[in-house]
Amino acid sequence: MDYIIEMNGITKKFPGVIANDHITLQLKKGEIHALLGENGAGKSTLMSVLFGLYQPESGVILKEGNAVKINGPNDATRLGIGMVHQHFKLVHNFTVLENIVLGVETVKHGLLSMEEAREKVVALSRTYGLEIDPDAPVSDITVGMQQRTEILKMLYRENEILIFDEPTAVLTPQEIAELMKIMKNLKEQGKSILFITHKLNEILAVADRCTVLRKGKGVGTIEVAGATKEGLSEMMVGRKVSLEMAKSDIDPGAVVLDVRELTVKNKITGKNLVCNVSFSVREGEIVCVAGIDGNGQSELVYALTGLLRAENGQVFLRGKDITRATVRERGNRGMAHIPEDRHKHGLVLDYSIAYNMVLQHYFEPAFQRHGFINYGAVYAYAAGLIEKYDVRCGQGVKTAARSMSGGNQQKAIIAREAEREHKLLVAVQPTRGLDVGAIEYIHERLLEERGKGKGILLISLELEEVFSISDRILVIYEGQIVADLDPKSVTYQELGLYMAGSKRKEGAS
Amino acid sequence: MNEIKQRGLWGLLGFSSALSSFAAIAVGLLFGFFLLLIANATDAAAGFRTLITSGFSDLKSMGQVLYFATPIIMTGLSVGFAGKTGLFNIGATGQFTVGAYCAVFVGVRFSFLPGLTLCLAALLAAMLAGAIWGSIPGLLKAWLNVNEVISCIMMNYIGMYLVNYLVIQTIYNHRHNASMNVLSNANVPRLGLDRIFRDGNIVSSANGGIFIAILAAIAMYVILEKTTLGYELKACGLNKNAAQYAGISAKRGIVTAMVISGALAGLGGALLYLSGAGKNIDVVDVLAQEGFNGIPVALLALNNPIGIIFSGLFIGYMTVGGFNMQLYNFSPQVVNMIVAVIIYFSAFALLVKGFIQKLGQREKQSGKEAGGE
Amino acid sequence: MSTVYFLVQQTMFFSIPLLIVALGGMFSERGGVVNIALEGIMVFGAFAGIVMIDAVQSAGIAINGQLLLLLAILTAAATGVLVSLAHAYASIHMKADQVISGTAINMLAPAFAIFVGRVINTRGTQQVRFEDWFHLEKVPVLGSIPVLGDMLFTNAYITTYLGFFILIAAWALLYKTKFGLRLRACGDHPQAADSAGISVYKMRYAGVMLSGVLAGIGGLVFVIPTSREFNATVSGYGFLALAVLIFGQWKPLRILAAAFFFGLLKAVAAGSSGLPLLKDIALPSYFYKMMPFIMTLIVLAFTSRKSQAPRAAGIPYDKGVR
Repeated sequence: MDYIIEMNGITKKFPGVIANDHITLQLKKGEIHALLGENGAGKSTLMSVLFGLYQPESGVILKEGNAVKINGPNDATRLGIGMVHQHFKLVHNFTVLENIVLGVETVKHGLLSMEEAREKVVALSRTYGLEIDPDAPVSDITVGMQQRTEILKMLYRENEILIFDEPTAVLTPQEIAELMKIMKNLKEQGKSILFITHKLNEILAVADRCTVLRKGKGVGTIEVAGATKEGLSEMMVGRKVSLEMAKSDIDPGAVVLDVRELTVKNKITGKNLVCNVSFSVREGEIVCVAGIDGNGQSELVYALTGLLRAENGQVFLRGKDITRATVRERGNRGMAHIPEDRHKHGLVLDYSIAYNMVLQHYFEPAFQRHGFINYGAVYAYAAGLIEKYDVRCGQGVKTAARSMSGGNQQKAIIAREAEREHKLLVAVQPTRGLDVGAIEYIHERLLEERGKGKGILLISLELEEVFSISDRILVIYEGQIVADLDPKSVTYQELGLYMAGSKRKEGAS
Repeated sequence: MNEIKQRGLWGLLGFSSALSSFAAIAVGLLFGFFLLLIANATDAAAGFRTLITSGFSDLKSMGQVLYFATPIIMTGLSVGFAGKTGLFNIGATGQFTVGAYCAVFVGVRFSFLPGLTLCLAALLAAMLAGAIWGSIPGLLKAWLNVNEVISCIMMNYIGMYLVNYLVIQTIYNHRHNASMNVLSNANVPRLGLDRIFRDGNIVSSANGGIFIAILAAIAMYVILEKTTLGYELKACGLNKNAAQYAGISAKRGIVTAMVISGALAGLGGALLYLSGAGKNIDVVDVLAQEGFNGIPVALLALNNPIGIIFSGLFIGYMTVGGFNMQLYNFSPQVVNMIVAVIIYFSAFALLVKGFIQKLGQREKQSGKEAGGE
Repeated sequence: MSTVYFLVQQTMFFSIPLLIVALGGMFSERGGVVNIALEGIMVFGAFAGIVMIDAVQSAGIAINGQLLLLLAILTAAATGVLVSLAHAYASIHMKADQVISGTAINMLAPAFAIFVGRVINTRGTQQVRFEDWFHLEKVPVLGSIPVLGDMLFTNAYITTYLGFFILIAAWALLYKTKFGLRLRACGDHPQAADSAGISVYKMRYAGVMLSGVLAGIGGLVFVIPTSREFNATVSGYGFLALAVLIFGQWKPLRILAAAFFFGLLKAVAAGSSGLPLLKDIALPSYFYKMMPFIMTLIVLAFTSRKSQAPRAAGIPYDKGVR
């Protein structure tokens, strides 16, 4: 068999963790090969080894049958290996062209000569149907064009083996379809593609073969033709997974959150990030704000939770205007908030888990007297939550939050927020970066909250999640709510059109 | 077994912090010795011996150590307090200087205040001035996102020039190109320390200021570790975003921290010039070294207030040694160079500590994971 | 008219060192390393340069004044590089706090200059004196150009022209060469540079070393026209250069404008008693001394929200974190 790249028995250890345990991956010339696995299964580590960013403890890499040593991105480039990283590696104040040539510049008389490069880039973009504007600064172009820039970076370096690391996370269904077309096109031109993902339908749509990783070990490689979603997910998770959530009918009560014509502006550019948004959330329902990342979701949440000042409009929590209220006032009125980024907002990582559990309570009479903190009470309270929510932490209440796993950090935040006196829970991407077990746990908790009659505003980028647990879907596009949909009567494709802004519902604000 | 492992690790952690500070000190001293060797090989050994032993040579020298340590413990607390809340207060010098001026002004002009009240008023004035001077970078950072390092540097120069101007305008002693002497009851009482720390008839400048500095350190410890204010300020310092998320005003936190930090430095200025040692504010365009020395004091103690007392005493001890080294014609600047080298290597030390901490956490995590599966 | 000429000439003396040092800071920060050690490096550079001049002059060696100045400039530049390497090593290899490392160098510099000054000085004082062999009464030909000749080519030093040369070279290096493109990438998105096969460490070293060269030269250029002795200080000019850098939003031409603005302030301060209008106002000289620092604070207050500082400046690059 003609393998262009073989990674045989790769083992990569980090202190205390075996990220890759004797993994074998064989890429045929001219195929699209998917690498499937949950978060933390070792996909990124394996690709970093191939790209020369890590050196494996054991195992060999063969290029067309010959053993090679890859010590860094330069070696990888020389071997024709290129990579589109999950987080784009683009310099924001450079133009598209400058980003493409960075590292392989053409120089004449000691000065940069961009003209030849421009011609080559324009030609490449025609050949592969990658539409770009070479002179636009990267900070001004769409995510889709940024991705095309990344692909052109690889093509400009004449790479033969193209690695795509979770390329669809930031795209609309339509853009995803477009990307799939580009990938097939690249394959027809003779490129070999490694496609890292945890989304099953994308594999079925585009890949020829698929290698599955689980907890750092290789589970196997299969032909995609003839594979099923269920089969793949069982390989990935190691057990049968119910893709559907059992959910009772809703019985929504009174309005908890009422948002009226809310507008949030970017302080510097004056651009509207959230524009004239109106909606409401009632007791006992899960309302999901769906949309592509960066369409104003974060700013909407910041404005609702008091982290950002709204320019215009009003927010009512249980009938009271909280538009100008502080974060603490909102909390006291019954708002709980699972933040988007647990490291940025959710936790003080260098505080103990106990300190983190009272982040919004430390000033209450139960935990302090005359300004002095009552540590006994704090530790007792935290111990109770850890027990109840099964948060795993090595040294009990004094464990530093930093030393806990991502799943347990998220559980701790959920414990803290769920135990607050609240009527409304704002949950922003609560399952981001977690494995299937943790995701199921969190979805169950959310449904439990719903059962208790809390109003839930869920912000999600994962369409599966949107469909499986929400009662209503609000689609956000460029800061506006463009549709209010019933998950039972809308399809993926339709939702995608709304998310891409190419469709808009009459009557939506 | 797990318990022991854990304690071993924590022990190692504390040990590693102290160890890295001692390593930085050792490198600094070695560097100093090296300098002396180059400058004057014959006297180097004797000079170096003076440098590192003379602080303990007699009770008078020990008193001088206390005298020199007092202001830099205060500026060390100032830098350390800001550091605990995530701010780098390189402006302790300016806060120290304006504090010193206000203390001396009160000490010279407020003759209507009887007895100890004059001293107290002068100390309060210094704290207030330092607090105001510190609040400006704090306000700029909180509301306008101005980097506190740059604004503090600017405030240092503004403070220095302003104080020179004000000294000339209000409390100028032409003959010495310096401030006038304060009234005797403006000085911090000696509390009998001069009777203990003396060499025959030569008394040291030791005074009650050292107790004020120690009390300030204890107060800082209590505030940071035991109170809701400390909880809030540390949360702001460790993760400003999380603090905001939790409803703690990071803006207020920044300003509060800089106000307290500035007050500590300002008090340091007062304690130096109200020491009764006959020191006056010289009108020269040079930033006060005591403020900058707060940086190594805080760094060596890793911002721990109790540790700051000891690192302040250490730098004070070195200062006495440097002073006595002039016997051998070595300039006391050697001490400043040694301190600079210590700062340089303490910057590494933080890294070494962080590295060991990370290693420990990974071990912990792996242990937990192994146990879990 | 002569007042105007005088003011322009004085402005040059003050702005050129600011310009050179701020451009140095620009290279360091656009590569991703914050360099508050500029002040200290200036002191080192000036000290080495002046000591070298003093040595030649006291040895009685007959040498062309301009040549001696050039040699002194090279000495200052070399010294600056050496000192900047200490900062680079701490900030890049050791991933130390860049502000702390810079502070250490700032503390070391004057102490070193005083200590060594006393050791090598036969008079036993810390001041190092030198004779001015460098002053240009009038540049041949160019000095006869009306107006411009009086402003720029009489009562001048070659350091002025060196400053303008450095500005042009710095602009071209930053925007028109492969090196500049790569350096800027390292300051804004080092991960992107790394994945494009650029050694972030090497580029950052290069940036910091360039700042060492320029700050070293800047120190000397500051002392030569305004003084006849070096007393272990550059009067906070390194910090002012930092302010100029921020004023100039890390861009060469704006840095030029900012440097001239500050230089003018200084020139006005130095000559306030001789300038017709200001003489009548009679503000205390301390007012003028404070002015640049106060102005910096005000401008910082207005610009910090929209600051265009290199995004990765001050953050050590760690290959493992992506």
